[in-house]
Amino acid sequence: MVVNDTAAAIRACAAERHLPETHLARWLRMAERDRAPLLAIARALRLSTGAIVTALTTLEEISVRESCAIESVLARDPIARIINSRAGSAPARAKAFLEALRAIRYPRLAEAARKLEAEIAALDLPRGISVVLPKDLGSDQLRIELQAEDGAGLTRLIGVLNANRGALAHIADVLGCGEDRLRK
Amino acid sequence: MNFDLDAIVIEAVLIEDRCRNSALAARVIEKIPPHVPVSYVADGREAAMPQTGARDPFGAGKRRMVLLNRRSPFLMACPTGSAEFACCGYLVLTLASNCPMDCSYCFLQEYLAGNPGFQVYANYADAMDELDRLAKRAPGRHLRVGTGELADSLAFDRITGISRDLVEFFAARDGLTLELKTKTGEIDNLLEVDPKGHTIVAWTLSPHAVFRSSEHRTASPSARIKSARRVLEAGYRAGFHLDPIIAYPGAGRDYGELLDELFDFVPPDRIAFFSMGTMRMTPGLRTAARERFPGDPMLLGEEVLSPDGRFRAFAPMRIALYREIADRIKASAPKAPMYLCMEQPGVHRRVLGAEPPSVAALGERLARG
Repeated sequence: MVVNDTAAAIRACAAERHLPETHLARWLRMAERDRAPLLAIARALRLSTGAIVTALTTLEEISVRESCAIESVLARDPIARIINSRAGSAPARAKAFLEALRAIRYPRLAEAARKLEAEIAALDLPRGISVVLPKDLGSDQLRIELQAEDGAGLTRLIGVLNANRGALAHIADVLGCGEDRLRK
Repeated sequence: MNFDLDAIVIEAVLIEDRCRNSALAARVIEKIPPHVPVSYVADGREAAMPQTGARDPFGAGKRRMVLLNRRSPFLMACPTGSAEFACCGYLVLTLASNCPMDCSYCFLQEYLAGNPGFQVYANYADAMDELDRLAKRAPGRHLRVGTGELADSLAFDRITGISRDLVEFFAARDGLTLELKTKTGEIDNLLEVDPKGHTIVAWTLSPHAVFRSSEHRTASPSARIKSARRVLEAGYRAGFHLDPIIAYPGAGRDYGELLDELFDFVPPDRIAFFSMGTMRMTPGLRTAARERFPGDPMLLGEEVLSPDGRFRAFAPMRIALYREIADRIKASAPKAPMYLCMEQPGVHRRVLGAEPPSVAALGERLARG
C-alpha cells in the first residue's frame, strides 16, 4: 500500500469509528512503517475507538521508553501471536492485544502482578475468601474479604485464613516491602 | 558541566513602577546584559500572566523576569504538606517564583501555569520582618525555612544578590535555619558571608542519566557535588534531596554510583540530611510535562495512580528502590538524618525501619543539625 493509500485508509477507519481529530492526527503523523501495521491490526481485530486511542498512546510511550520503532513493537512475539491467531473472537483478541501492549509498556508491573496473582491462586482458597491486590499495585495495602452466610461458614473461612496466614503475610510483605522480595 | 547563567535567555525585564527605586531593581539593571530590554509596568502580576499566543506559555514565562512587590505573605507551610503524609516541618519563604532551568518533571509546570513569569519580589526585606515575628511566636523552637520551593534559591543570585542578605539575617538568629535549595553551582556570593552554622545549602541530586534526559540547563550532578564540598569548607551545612527519584531501568545501580561519587567528595559525617521522594505527578502535571517533553523517557516510567490521586511508580518497585538507596546511604552515612517526602507513614516505616517522627520533631532536628 502506498503512503497516500494508507493515509486515506486510516482516515476512513477513523471516520467509521468517529475517532477524534487529535488522535487521527497522531496516527497520521506516524511513519508509514508504523501506521500501516496499526491500521491492519485495527481492521483485523475490529478495534473500537477507545481501543485505538489506547493503542496509539501505549505504542507511542513504548517507542519513547525503548527508543524503538512502533513497527518493531507490533512485530514482537506476544503481539504477533495474537494478531495472527484465528482463535477467539475479534473483541477477545482486541482485549488480549491491549493487555499485551500494556505488559510491554509496564514490564515490571506486569511481572510483579503475575507473580502475586500466581501466589494467590496457589493458595486455592475457598469461595467466600477474596484476596484483593490494590489496583495496578498502586498501594501497599492488601485487602482480604470474607463473605459468609452464617456463623459456621464464617468460622470455617477464618480457619482457612489462619491456616494460610504465612503465605498471606508473604504476599502482604511483597506489596509493602518491595519488589525484591518477589525474586527471593 | 556547570550551570551557565550567561546561557540563560532573558528576553525582557519588567519592573513594577512601585519597585522602580528598589535596591533589587538597581542591582538587576546593573547586571542584566545590555541587550535585554527593561520596561516598567503598573502591575507586575499582570506581566507574569501567560503570554497569549505563545506556543509554550510556561517556557516563555521563564524568559521574562518581573520585579514586583509581593502582596501576600512570604512565609507559608510547605505546599506539599498534608495530614496523610509524614512531613518534615519545612517552611517556605517565597522570594521568587519560577525558575530559569527547565526540568521535565517540575511541578511548577502545573502549579504556576496561571502565572509563569519569572517573578522576583523587590520587597523581600518584608519577609525578614515576617520571620522575626514567627521566631517571636515560637520561642525556644528551631525552624527550617527554605526559599527553594517555587524557585531555585541561587539560579539568579549573581544578579540579585539576595542570598547574602538572607544568610546574614539568619546568621544572627539562633532559632532560624535557612535552607537554600538549588541545582546550580552559583555559590560565589555565599562564600563571602559567614553563615554561623545557620544556613544549609541543599542540592537536588539525580543520576547522570536523569540529568541528561530531564534536567535542562542545570549544573551536572558532579558540579553540584563539587559545589557542596566548597560550601562545607566555607562553614555551611549541606543537605541533599534525592527528589524526584525516578524508577527507570538501572536506577538502583545509577543512584548507587551517584552516592559513591557524593561520598568521595563530601565527608558523610558532615551531611545535614538526605530527603527522598519518588517522582509523583498529578494527572494535570503529567499531561503538561509530557506535552512539553514528549521525548523524555524519564516521564514514561511504570507510574500508576496511587490512592492520593497522583501517579507514582507502583508500590513494590517504589519501595524496593527506596530501600536500596536508603541502605546505601546508611552504609556510608549512618548518622545522616533521612526522611521521605510526600509518602505515607507506612512507607516511611518500611523504608527506614522506624515510625516517622512527628512533624515538629523532625523539623526541629533538621533545623538544629
